[in-house]
Amino acid sequence: MASSLASFTAHNLADVRDIISAAIADNTRLDVCATGTKKALGHAGDFDAVLDVTKMAGVIDYQPEELILTLRAGTPLADVETLLTNANQMLAFDPPDFGKLLGGGDAGTIGGVMVANLSGPRRLTVGAARDFMLGFEAVSGRGELFKSGGKVVKNVTGYDLSKLICGSFGTLAVVDEITLKTLPRPETSLSLLFPADDMAQATSMIADIFATPHEPGSAAILPHNIAKDARIDMNAPMIIVVRLEGIAVSVNDRAMHLLNANATGEKLDHGKSKKLWQKIRDVDLLAGMPADVWKISCPPSIAAGFLDKLRQQVAFDFYSDWAGGLIWLSGVSDKNFGGAVRSALGQDGFAMLMRDVGDSKAHVSPFQPLATSMFELHKRVKAAFDPKSVLNFGRMHDGI
Amino acid sequence: MHMPEPDNDVIERRDEICATLRTIIPADCVIDSIESMRAFDSDGLSAYRQLPLAVVLPETVDQIADVMKWCHQNGVKVVPRGAGTSLSGGALPLADAVLLGLGKFNKILDIDYDNRCVVAQPGVTNLAITNAVEDHGFYYAPDPSSQIACSVGGNVAENSGGVHCLKYGLTTNNLLGIEIVTIEGEILRLGGKHLDAGDYDLMGIMTGSEGLLGIVSEVTLRILQKPATRRALLVGFEDTTSAGKAVGDVIGAGIIPAGMEMMDGLAINAAEDFANAGYPRSAAALIIVELDGPEVEVDTLIDRVEVIMKNAGASSIKVSQSEEERTLFWAGRKSAFPAVGRISPDYMCMDGTIPRRRLPDMMIRMASLSQKYGLRVANVFHAGDGNLHPLILFDANEPGELERAENFGGDILRACVEMGGVLTGEHGVGIEKRDLMGIQFTEDDMKQQQRLKCAFDADHLLNPGKVFPHLHRCAELGRLHVHKGKMPHADLPRF
Repeated sequence: MASSLASFTAHNLADVRDIISAAIADNTRLDVCATGTKKALGHAGDFDAVLDVTKMAGVIDYQPEELILTLRAGTPLADVETLLTNANQMLAFDPPDFGKLLGGGDAGTIGGVMVANLSGPRRLTVGAARDFMLGFEAVSGRGELFKSGGKVVKNVTGYDLSKLICGSFGTLAVVDEITLKTLPRPETSLSLLFPADDMAQATSMIADIFATPHEPGSAAILPHNIAKDARIDMNAPMIIVVRLEGIAVSVNDRAMHLLNANATGEKLDHGKSKKLWQKIRDVDLLAGMPADVWKISCPPSIAAGFLDKLRQQVAFDFYSDWAGGLIWLSGVSDKNFGGAVRSALGQDGFAMLMRDVGDSKAHVSPFQPLATSMFELHKRVKAAFDPKSVLNFGRMHDGI
Repeated sequence: MHMPEPDNDVIERRDEICATLRTIIPADCVIDSIESMRAFDSDGLSAYRQLPLAVVLPETVDQIADVMKWCHQNGVKVVPRGAGTSLSGGALPLADAVLLGLGKFNKILDIDYDNRCVVAQPGVTNLAITNAVEDHGFYYAPDPSSQIACSVGGNVAENSGGVHCLKYGLTTNNLLGIEIVTIEGEILRLGGKHLDAGDYDLMGIMTGSEGLLGIVSEVTLRILQKPATRRALLVGFEDTTSAGKAVGDVIGAGIIPAGMEMMDGLAINAAEDFANAGYPRSAAALIIVELDGPEVEVDTLIDRVEVIMKNAGASSIKVSQSEEERTLFWAGRKSAFPAVGRISPDYMCMDGTIPRRRLPDMMIRMASLSQKYGLRVANVFHAGDGNLHPLILFDANEPGELERAENFGGDILRACVEMGGVLTGEHGVGIEKRDLMGIQFTEDDMKQQQRLKCAFDADHLLNPGKVFPHLHRCAELGRLHVHKGKMPHADLPRF
């Protein structure tokens, strides 16, 4: 990663402890970083040195029959996926590869995925990254080694600090050993495509599909232009994509039932379905446009209203995942765009600026701003782990 | 069990405190007569009893906030209580603390099928959520065995599980949002009807925090469509080692059953005496495997599991042919606790988790501990996820037996941690396992957890004396001892 800052390499948590202790003593603000593929997320921050954790890599223990994988945070995600695929398992939360979207080249490390709590299309039904982290070992911003959770799938001993680490963007602690829950890889999959007139009809059709016992696993909504770019040719303003996964006899049976209920549907075979969902997961569908990209999470039922409201103010491209609850938006880098997104959304969800191709971050916070009392609580939580603000200070919010 | 020394100043101010509370919330929401408070003197861990300073039963979230604010300003401790079904003493009152009960918060506020969630007050029972949505084919997945009585707010506080969490997860995996009241009386909303807010996951931290961080005043729960079919297999084994291996073989074959339970010989016979479920009495271990989903899928997987069980050396296999038969298979398992209650004057239920492959070692260890302590143990496991529920049989009227049973239980939990597992899989630490926390966690691990507590409750007023064996003042925990470190492996600055 390109940086003009002094860089300190940690090979293990003892190194991390020494580097953090020195940073506390010298008031050094550390940029905690592995391969830097998610550098574009959040604020750039104002750092004095880099703490490089790339060397803390490797698998420690993998027990497929226990659904348990213990590994080090710097392990490349690609290596993890190869290991699990060979055992017919997967990280069920479907970690995305934002290499293209964020310009980092590849998916980076498992530690990066976990601390950013990044999940893909399966998140809708199986859970987020945070749901699959069972335990960890780390050094806090106090320079102290601590662990939390365990190496078993069921555990309620003590506070569930894994949840806090996921989504903390390295602002609380530097994690090394991580224990994850793995799941069997579905034997096969296919997708069904259904035409819809508009977003409101699409989300309501998906709600109807989720009110059947046919176990849809993922559900996306693609506007016609986006679908066409992805080589999906269906003549409708909106195209619903529903993925079914499992054993072949079950997948085919469920597909048959859903197609019987809606004769306008079409089938997409396993190979084509897999490719399409990878594009949906990695935001390839918008990554090629020279524009800012926003991630909006909201209740599916308000998605259409939000988009209508926003359309009155600014122009954008979009598609939706998570049954309508996740909206990927792309629009010109403009000082008013972010404000328009946040005011159209209101308090019913959150909007994060994922990619800034201009200077949007000068006008809008990449993370949704926190109300005062929540901000104060966040600050106290930060101080509980990193009282001298040596770790990734300001990456998420000013002062945190 | 040693609880923190009560604050006599507070106890002496009891009348005045109750009088003031009656000005903050409606007078009939404050209970302070000894007779009436008896109903609240313990939870599901009934070996421990303590009368609270007073019981308050607020009716609105603002009233909770007002009580909390006043208690915070006046240095009065608060113990939250849902339905009082905790098995670990999480809701055990303290002599110098107000017990804040959420029993009046019993309304479902919003059933939202479009977004597949239910918004409910914290005192609504777990089962009531499913009851409210089952007409539309939906249900709420976490199903702790106390689901008829336990409250959803308590489920959040304890991160409750159940028989089906192998496939569907614990409370934390089925929760979309909560509203909490902090000890300072602030009302905060964490999460909502959407997924994964981009802030610190404070909802994740609140879940399973055992009432130490805040009071849950509203929950938003994810509901799922009921599976089309459920079928179960009842499989007997002549030894527990083969049974343990069979469980691993099922998961190794890529099958995640909705539930996978195991019982040992003593539990099988106690349950069979009680429920006449058709259990094989001579088996050393019994596995119940339940599969759910589309009919063709369940039928296919049932066949696959049957083959796996045969290959693993099963001595008997029965497959449910009807819903009645499936229910009957479960009847014995579900009555295991009361069934064991019939063969012993008292029993103590433990709750450790181990890596599943260590099950045979654990069985051997338990047999030898049983001999050492001269007490019988019946075993019921959530085998799929390695969560053990050994039931230690004893007679509290025999001098010394309770203590022996507690020591036996402590040794089992020590063995769980030694084998790579944890102290509690779903019942929580509470007071029951508080003094064993040091087996699993170092002093530094626990101090870091307590620093998080300080971020929410700097004066340790919320549910003190639970979960952590030592209370450290927040000022002490916050102190930073910086030993001048040296930057190792300092690379040259890169330009």
